[in-house]
Amino acid sequence: MHMANELLSVPVAAGTTAIAAAALGFVCKKARQVVTTEKLALMGVLGAFVFAAQMVNFQLPAMPGTSGHMVGAVLLAVILGPHAAAIVMSSVVIIQCLIFQDGGLLALGCNLINMALVPSYVGYFLYRAIAAERHRSLRLYLAAILACVFAMEAGAVLVPVQAALSGVLVVPFRTFLFAMLGVHFLIGLIEGLITLAVLGYLQQVRPDIIPGHLPGNIRLSRKALFATLTVFAIVIAAALSLIASDLPDGLEWSYAERPDQPDFEPMVSKPDSTISAVDDFQAKYSLMPDYSVRTEKLGSAADGESDTAAAWTSFAGVLGSALTMALIWFVAWALRKRQSLKDSPAT
Amino acid sequence: MHHAYIDKFAYQDSPIHRLDARMKLLLLIVFTAVVVALPRTSPAVLACYAVGPFAILVWAKIPLRFALKHILIISPFILVLALSCPLYDRTPVTVLFGPVTWHTSLGWMRCFTIFGKFVVTMLALIALVSTTRFNVLLAALHKLHLPRLLIIQLGFLYRYIFILIDRAQHILRARAGRKMRNLGFKTELKFAAAMLGSLLIRSIDNAENVNIAMRARGFDGNWRTVSKLKIRRADLLFAAAAACFLLTLHFFIRPALR
Repeated sequence: MHMANELLSVPVAAGTTAIAAAALGFVCKKARQVVTTEKLALMGVLGAFVFAAQMVNFQLPAMPGTSGHMVGAVLLAVILGPHAAAIVMSSVVIIQCLIFQDGGLLALGCNLINMALVPSYVGYFLYRAIAAERHRSLRLYLAAILACVFAMEAGAVLVPVQAALSGVLVVPFRTFLFAMLGVHFLIGLIEGLITLAVLGYLQQVRPDIIPGHLPGNIRLSRKALFATLTVFAIVIAAALSLIASDLPDGLEWSYAERPDQPDFEPMVSKPDSTISAVDDFQAKYSLMPDYSVRTEKLGSAADGESDTAAAWTSFAGVLGSALTMALIWFVAWALRKRQSLKDSPAT
Repeated sequence: MHHAYIDKFAYQDSPIHRLDARMKLLLLIVFTAVVVALPRTSPAVLACYAVGPFAILVWAKIPLRFALKHILIISPFILVLALSCPLYDRTPVTVLFGPVTWHTSLGWMRCFTIFGKFVVTMLALIALVSTTRFNVLLAALHKLHLPRLLIIQLGFLYRYIFILIDRAQHILRARAGRKMRNLGFKTELKFAAAMLGSLLIRSIDNAENVNIAMRARGFDGNWRTVSKLKIRRADLLFAAAAACFLLTLHFFIRPALR
């Protein structure tokens, strides 16, 4: 669910980056009180563990050819506490952006919020709330799965919202939202199961790692698995139908009045001056409704010539760019060849 | 170490590699913002913007095949979104492109633009990452006042990613050698949990040793770098050239290419 640059407008990207930076600064300040010098190395290595853990995949049932893997936010939050986990997950997202190019640079703020900050805190507090001090097997089971599912969904919901705020969405908002929720529900469920299984393993092998006391053996029976799936399917179906009927396009205000779809009837008016100001700001930076002018022009003969001229300039632009690149490459190649000729007699 | 270093080209040397990391980072942010703010239905102008990162990649001797291959690997998510555009936006448009006239829909134009922007911004990002060593980038981020804790965390993370990935690959190979068929979800899950658990325990033990070793050498939680970051004349020249490039495109080329 890495957000891409292209799903965001510049103001939204700037806003989310500012929010993420402020939140991260705050978290770092908070974490200074919790994180001792001894914990620094542990946090760093656990961040690397998250990367390595994502390579350990396993076969999924009923879906041949697909495999799941762990994301790790909730596991880290349980082991390290929420602040340290948020920092570790943030560093993972930053490295994914800078070294592995997953998700764009402008979308870094969004990705930090969606994949690091929100899941760590949502997951941790849900886990703490459900798994009480005296852990019992069933509560722990519920806690791990619910924490993972909701942490995942909370991040996933933000993706379509951010895209809609940017006005970039071509896909209807609701379709995108439901697709994200559905896919991430499955991912969250698998994440929950694997997190639970890892917690169980740790309890057997190294019980000192996890704070608090877990029951000796967490059993994953087939019945429990089936029951969980059924219950979750019902809950999510009910929740989705509620959302669908309760919020008739309430979140779509931002793209309901898209300037590029003049025949699109806006469903929500903008009585608030702040909202319209934000919209104007956004329109100034992100929207250039030039093509609509072009589609209207198509029929008239008088504009045909200017259209043709524009066509040739764009052709020239692309061709010129291609030629420039070829020239750059050729010059570099020639220079390098001369360099290697100069070097070769010496060796 | 069996996998290829993704930023292996950062250890080469070229005029681009020697530029100040802060300058490169800021220019990359500006460039990405400019490209993302381009209109959403005119793919032609993107070709002009691609010249910038292309020139840097060639100048820094980064193989283009490496960059393009990497972009292809990371593109599935954006491809799904781009290809869903033609399904939802069927407003017909006629595109006149030089000698070719093409009747198509607005959705396809959007699709090409989204993918084009993705390629151009990713080329620029690859151009930064494969011309800047990560510790230099961290020093730059430190100078730009990122929290110290985060910088330390990033430094550790980068140091250990490849080691742990290697270890995970050993475990995966061991499983592949012993497991001959699909064992059903429950068993698979149990295996994966045991693999992850042992990997986690080994990581934690490792971290303890690292901590002891670092404490023995006087680590007190402060990050000290021998930072040689300095804005030199070459940096200013590069920034000026980049600014010229962007301004020319913005004021002269872009209005012409509608």
